Amino acid sequence: MNTLNQVGHPSPRIDAQKRVTGTATYTGDIRLPGMLYARVLRSPHAHARIRRIDVSRAQALPGVKAILTRENCDVVWGSGDTRNKRYLFNNPVRFAGDAVAAVAAMDRHTAEEATRLIEVDYGTLPFVLDPEDALKPGAVEIQPGGNHSPNNQGARQPEVYRRGNIEEGLRAADQVFEDHYTSAHINNAQLEPRVSIAQWEGDKLTVYASTQGISNCHTEIARDLKLAPENVRVICQFMGGGFGNKNQCHDFDLMAAMLAKQTGAPVKLEFTRKEDFLAVHGRWPTKQYYKVGVKRDGTLTAIQLRGYSGMGPYRKGSGGIAGIEIYQCPHVERSVTQAYTNMAVSANLRGPDYPQGVFGIESLMDDIAYSLNMDPVDFRLKNMTRKFNDQTPYTSIGLEDCIRRGAEAFEWKKRWHAPGVGFGPVKRGAGMAMGSFFSSLGRSSAVIDLDSRGMYHVHVGVTDIGTAAKTTMALIAAEELGVPLEKIDVIWGDTGRCPYSVGESGSRTTTHTGYAVVQAAKDLKRQIAEKGLPQGDQMLTAAANTNPTVQNAARYSFVAHFAEVEVDIELGHVKVVKYVAAHDSGRVVNPLTATSQVKGGAIMGIGMALHEELLYDKQTGLPLTAGYYGARVMTHLDAPEIEVHWIETEDPYGPFGAKTLGEPTIIPSVAAVANAIYNAIGKRVKDLPITRDKILAVLA
Amino acid sequence: MKSFANVNPREMKDAVAQLRQPNAIVVGGGSDLLGLVKEHLVQPDVLVNLKAIRGLDQVSAKGAEVHIGGLITLDTLSHEPLIRKNYTVLAEAAESVATPQIRNVGTLAGNVCQRPWCWYYRNGFPCFKNGGNKCFSVAGENQFHAIFGGGPSFIVHPSDTAPALLALDAKFRVAGPAGERTVPAADFFALPRVNASKENVLAKDEVLVSIQLPRAARGVRSSYHKVLDREAWTHAVVSAAMVLDMDQDICKSARIVLGGVAPIPWRLPKVEAMLAGQRITPELAARAGDAAVEGANPLAKNGYKVPLTKAVVRRTLLGLTAKA
Repeated sequence: MNTLNQVGHPSPRIDAQKRVTGTATYTGDIRLPGMLYARVLRSPHAHARIRRIDVSRAQALPGVKAILTRENCDVVWGSGDTRNKRYLFNNPVRFAGDAVAAVAAMDRHTAEEATRLIEVDYGTLPFVLDPEDALKPGAVEIQPGGNHSPNNQGARQPEVYRRGNIEEGLRAADQVFEDHYTSAHINNAQLEPRVSIAQWEGDKLTVYASTQGISNCHTEIARDLKLAPENVRVICQFMGGGFGNKNQCHDFDLMAAMLAKQTGAPVKLEFTRKEDFLAVHGRWPTKQYYKVGVKRDGTLTAIQLRGYSGMGPYRKGSGGIAGIEIYQCPHVERSVTQAYTNMAVSANLRGPDYPQGVFGIESLMDDIAYSLNMDPVDFRLKNMTRKFNDQTPYTSIGLEDCIRRGAEAFEWKKRWHAPGVGFGPVKRGAGMAMGSFFSSLGRSSAVIDLDSRGMYHVHVGVTDIGTAAKTTMALIAAEELGVPLEKIDVIWGDTGRCPYSVGESGSRTTTHTGYAVVQAAKDLKRQIAEKGLPQGDQMLTAAANTNPTVQNAARYSFVAHFAEVEVDIELGHVKVVKYVAAHDSGRVVNPLTATSQVKGGAIMGIGMALHEELLYDKQTGLPLTAGYYGARVMTHLDAPEIEVHWIETEDPYGPFGAKTLGEPTIIPSVAAVANAIYNAIGKRVKDLPITRDKILAVLA
Repeated sequence: MKSFANVNPREMKDAVAQLRQPNAIVVGGGSDLLGLVKEHLVQPDVLVNLKAIRGLDQVSAKGAEVHIGGLITLDTLSHEPLIRKNYTVLAEAAESVATPQIRNVGTLAGNVCQRPWCWYYRNGFPCFKNGGNKCFSVAGENQFHAIFGGGPSFIVHPSDTAPALLALDAKFRVAGPAGERTVPAADFFALPRVNASKENVLAKDEVLVSIQLPRAARGVRSSYHKVLDREAWTHAVVSAAMVLDMDQDICKSARIVLGGVAPIPWRLPKVEAMLAGQRITPELAARAGDAAVEGANPLAKNGYKVPLTKAVVRRTLLGLTAKA
């Protein structure tokens, strides 16, 4: 039973009215006096050496104020590549969409026109799109030293994890299953396109960004532009989504700052939707080869994964392939190679390493269950993780309850059946999958001021990327302080006014910054007890810089999703008709917005399962499906009802026991849909997305 | 986008005259044109906006015929009672287009004359449609391309209303410098082997003004079946527009036109002949589906359209005869 007053009760967002009435000021809404507009010229080639750039015609266009190219700008974008030196403008250009020049002008139209007047002489180079092809001898070298991107130790070797002895595990098996899967590059497809506004006052720079993390954006702008951190301010009051591709500072933030510096005027740099799909990053495409050994009774003896991730030409993301850790198994070997390709850059997208990896392993585990005549739910209950990597106890684990309660709510026993049976052309099928996600604890800060009117001013460096972080912080503060929500005033989204907060990535804000809010509130309560309430101009201030850790335990969130689909086997059409999601994210701070997170994540996963792919033309290395139309992003009509169940484990860490939530929501969804399709038609599509042509091909 | 001038003629003959200026282009609803201009696929100096010309957005009965102004929005068209009742296939086709926002501004003439949505064309590849001399889909990503009538370009015609109009035996009124002319729907669309850079016979200074539908016979039933890759806002993967003239349960005559399979709306005369005078049984419908794909010539990645087309033809036929 919930004995808390604020936490755990559904609460509308504190900024909901502003957002829905259009009065919220998003970064794109900001206009500063004398502001210039900027546009970026991008490479039309997959890979080319720039032999010459002539900006004279663009420069001569009335209204053009500044043009940046590699020739007059050598700023290195630190977070654009963790292995190589990536400039704002690179030569050679290494993917279609790589920035070549940026123009600031009096208005948008002139800026865009000017980019078209820049004459670039490209010498095209060979290109490679597939990560395995990129690693073959003779493949064109995209980065100095070759296309095998160095691992975390700096060696051009795969990232490897081992426990037990894989050969022994495979020998111990009664049966070894072997299969391979691929997943596509897809875009984060957040609603708000990219925009950045930079303004200098003397040597002080203010950037109005659309960012998931004002603090890391701030630190990195200072680093990349060689400025003192106190001379940089980053503001993001309202932002319209990012799903991992707006964390950190981006090249366009730096371009806006450099253009503003050169022109002496504020500069707003905007992307088109197509640029948004190509020029930042999306989810890395993967190729996954599995071997799984199993006893006749369904006990796992070995899991082996050899995987390849295509990172695009710059190493911006981890390129990991996760999922096998959800199974207990004595002998495990995972080897993943990250390769440079001439596709769009790959990096974080909601649960970066997971949905594609879980699609692979959960497809294969499903096949194994069928082949052993086991119910897939029973198979997972038998083999699911009990300890992290079979070694470290979890701080709390509700996975079994997620599976059991989810299955019950879904009516699994009624809906699931032998694969591919049923009369008529429309086949129904049920599928499920499970997942876990690291629920981190770590550094963050909060400051709470109490004034004599009884208002608590909570300063937190969150931007609220759509998760309702502001509301979450207010609820946590109100709970700990024991005051009504109306007494909380949240100050957010401005490094000039807020202390450090972790970037809103890794689903960390509630656990990191929420914990700091709890500690600041505790301190403030102590001060009130000591000094009494403030009077007149007095103010009480409590600050917390927290960095909690977990000892000898692993802290994870858990999830199981269940999907039912209808597949029309003549049309190849798939419709998701029922969907149940069961989540252990510890204590749920705000069930209203948490439920929205689950719905959003599940729907995103269904889109990844059925539709989305940044498809490339193999003849030219150019993309074909950038943008909402081409990517076939889910519409409201495509989205089923998502039924959400909370398994609220008691976790001793985090604010009121809250564990992570945003990213687990997408992790098993792709696999659940894929498994439901298999159950419906009795054939398995192993390459994402599971489109009509592939369904009709396996049925032919 | 590039700078351009906008003119608002009030008479069609002025519009046609304005179109004779160099680099002028006609705009109705603008929902497709705006995207083309933004992507620099067309770079007009003058937009000849038709919206100031009165009376081109109406449905009117003219004797036994029905005339539809080319500027009628797809949304209005799909709700017009006369169209819904007697020309159901057209109402259904109109309401299947894109999204409510686009149907609110997109016009019938614009939908019929819409440029292809081939991803090579829309991404500016130097293909036939962009003034080049190659169809990149042939050796490329041709999942959505033509299985009939392709070569040298393999685009599919993007319009939903065009197959419906052809199935209804519509006539197109076209205004040009020499006045108006009437073009039967069957002659309006042109295969790439005739001219690979365009999809119809309109000259640069001609405008599709209105559409005339013949009297709807009493026993006529019609419908439009569109297979899309998501529930909204995609073009047809395969579609079928079907008009049957029924006498009790006997099909006196049929007109069947496919969308999404060819560079023009693709009529199936052999299937129509096969159905004439017949009772439509499930067996006959299945044979009609098989006959529908005779002569199909799929590329490497669009072979799935063959069984898909069979199923769509069979089902639409059975759906219509069960409608009675």
